[in-house]
Amino acid sequence: MKTAAIALNGLTKYYGSRPVVDDVTFSVASGSIFGLLGPNGSGKSTTIKMLCGLLLPTAGSAYIDGLDVVTRGMAVRWRIGYMAQAYTMYDDLTVDENLEFFARAYRLSANQRRQRKQDVVALTGIEPFLNMRSALLSGGCQRRLALASALLHDPPIVFLDEPTAGIDPVARRDLWDLFFRLAEGGKTFFVTTHYMDEAERCSEVGYIFDGKLIACGTSAALRQLASVNRPDTRRYAIDAEEPMPTFAAVRNLSYVRDATIFGRELHVLVESTTSVQQLASDLKKFAPAEAIRRVDPSLEDVFVTLTRERDA
Amino acid sequence: MRALFDFHGMSAMIYKEARHILREPMTLALVIAMPFMQLLIYGYAINLRVEHVPAVYYSEDAGRLSDEFVTALQSSGEFDILSRVNSPQALREAIVAGKAHVGFDIPENFSADILRDKPTPVQVLVDGSQSNIAQVASAAAVQIGAAMALRLRGVSDQPEAIDVRPMILFNPSLRTPNFLVPGLIGLVLQNITMVLMALSIVQERTRGTLDQVLVTPIGTTALLLGKLVPYGVVGFFDFMLVLVMMRNIFDVPIAGNIFVLLVLGAGFLMTSLGLGLLVSTYAQSQIQALLITAFFVIPSVMLSGMFFQIELMPKAMQVVSYALPLTYFLELLRGIIVRGATLGDLWVPAVATIFFGLLALGLASLRFARTAG
Repeated sequence: MKTAAIALNGLTKYYGSRPVVDDVTFSVASGSIFGLLGPNGSGKSTTIKMLCGLLLPTAGSAYIDGLDVVTRGMAVRWRIGYMAQAYTMYDDLTVDENLEFFARAYRLSANQRRQRKQDVVALTGIEPFLNMRSALLSGGCQRRLALASALLHDPPIVFLDEPTAGIDPVARRDLWDLFFRLAEGGKTFFVTTHYMDEAERCSEVGYIFDGKLIACGTSAALRQLASVNRPDTRRYAIDAEEPMPTFAAVRNLSYVRDATIFGRELHVLVESTTSVQQLASDLKKFAPAEAIRRVDPSLEDVFVTLTRERDA
Repeated sequence: MRALFDFHGMSAMIYKEARHILREPMTLALVIAMPFMQLLIYGYAINLRVEHVPAVYYSEDAGRLSDEFVTALQSSGEFDILSRVNSPQALREAIVAGKAHVGFDIPENFSADILRDKPTPVQVLVDGSQSNIAQVASAAAVQIGAAMALRLRGVSDQPEAIDVRPMILFNPSLRTPNFLVPGLIGLVLQNITMVLMALSIVQERTRGTLDQVLVTPIGTTALLLGKLVPYGVVGFFDFMLVLVMMRNIFDVPIAGNIFVLLVLGAGFLMTSLGLGLLVSTYAQSQIQALLITAFFVIPSVMLSGMFFQIELMPKAMQVVSYALPLTYFLELLRGIIVRGATLGDLWVPAVATIFFGLLALGLASLRFARTAG
């Protein structure tokens, strides 16, 4: 069997007596983009930091390319690139100086340095800014520089901790296109994110809540989870010009178990005996006629359901 | 423009600042402990008098009056007679080596001359490298000689029978710069390098760049040396610069071997950089780093012997004095620059300086490796 690029086995981290990452087990196949999702403070960054050797696990183990992250930390470092959640390049150095530093850190020869810098600069599109101090770059360019630094030594596995936080939608899309191109080239990406649309693009997704991994698999598999698609329920999408009044209305209907707003669409979980017609006629009392159709759960529906279950 | 006298929202600001202060218990503890420590040092350790000056003597006299003279010196409280040396040269050597600040040379016919009513000269060699001590010690020696002569009136009625002649060595005009500047070099060197080093690492940690470095295969030793060497070079350049300034602006010549001075200066830089590194492993913020550094600087100024005699401090404070690396480096600076001492004379402070350097770097590296993940 092929060794997983990343494997976690009961990985646990305590801060004092509080578990921040609690007995997390999963693995990531080589060449895939794995998305770790979860609300703020759920343990995503702590997990990444343990995998990158920046924090020691309290219990459990983790392997990168089959190497134990604790006992083979140095060997692991050659195989991984890491882009932190915060911007962690040197503000007072230029783009080129930052790249030069990290290239030297990976002991690349002068020729390799020149070549690799050229490669990553071309890949991330930061040529125009090479001589600019990195503090002056836009948020999107700073993320690109951080990514370029993480890729300098051509690592097979790249960890990205909320790589698109705080950047504009176009820059976000460009960055993801880049991840796809690199993943096609065989690199494994481990990405944490808040964005559901990003999660939908991952080959596999893990959902971590309160330190515990509560779901893991392809997004198609997660949508089919029995706990999300209970036989006594149905899920409808309602198009709503003004979702708030509709949202307030549906929540008062006795057969509605749950409702969530997605932009101008409402996802409503109702008892399976409820028909489209019944829902439509009930809604007419509150709002103009709106299009209603039966839908499969979105990834967000999956996570909302799982989180509510966990809370209950 | 904002109006100056507008008190609205003050409670919000006070609320927030109070939270900031309470949130960092270490900062709060430092801020509370700082005046406590300062008061303790200023009030308890500092003694502006000059007493118990370490002294040695050489005597060729066979009579009892020379013993009486030495006893008078000792019982005056002004001098601590450490030992009797075997030659007039040894007097000077003891002073050059920093073992004594004063040397009394009692001539062959001291007792006989006094008994014969003949004035007898006592040569007193005084260490001019610490001008405050030199001044007081010279006057005290003259006074004790005169008092003894007066007391011996039954034997001799000439008060000038004991003619004490102080000779100030190294800095005959007792210029203050010769005393202060070499000491300040040590202090400046320690403070600058320690603060620079501590801030540089704390800044990397708080900005997250340290994590970015720690995920690369840069080894711990390489990381530390890579940090230490550039700041060491800057510190060493500073050291040479202040030596040049001392020589050319303050006219303080370097009497000893400058090469030895530079080597030992490099050793002291290891200590201050190591201390900076150590501070960085405790400080959670740059303000904390500065406060911890200040915590170290105050005893260094007050207790290292830069201005005040260590011998006069209470025993507990003396322990602190001798635990301070600057105390030894100061001894080296004054010894080499002012007294022209050799490495052989100063081997104790030299070994201590190198020892502290290795200790500080070693401890700091261990703590850094443990705390850096």
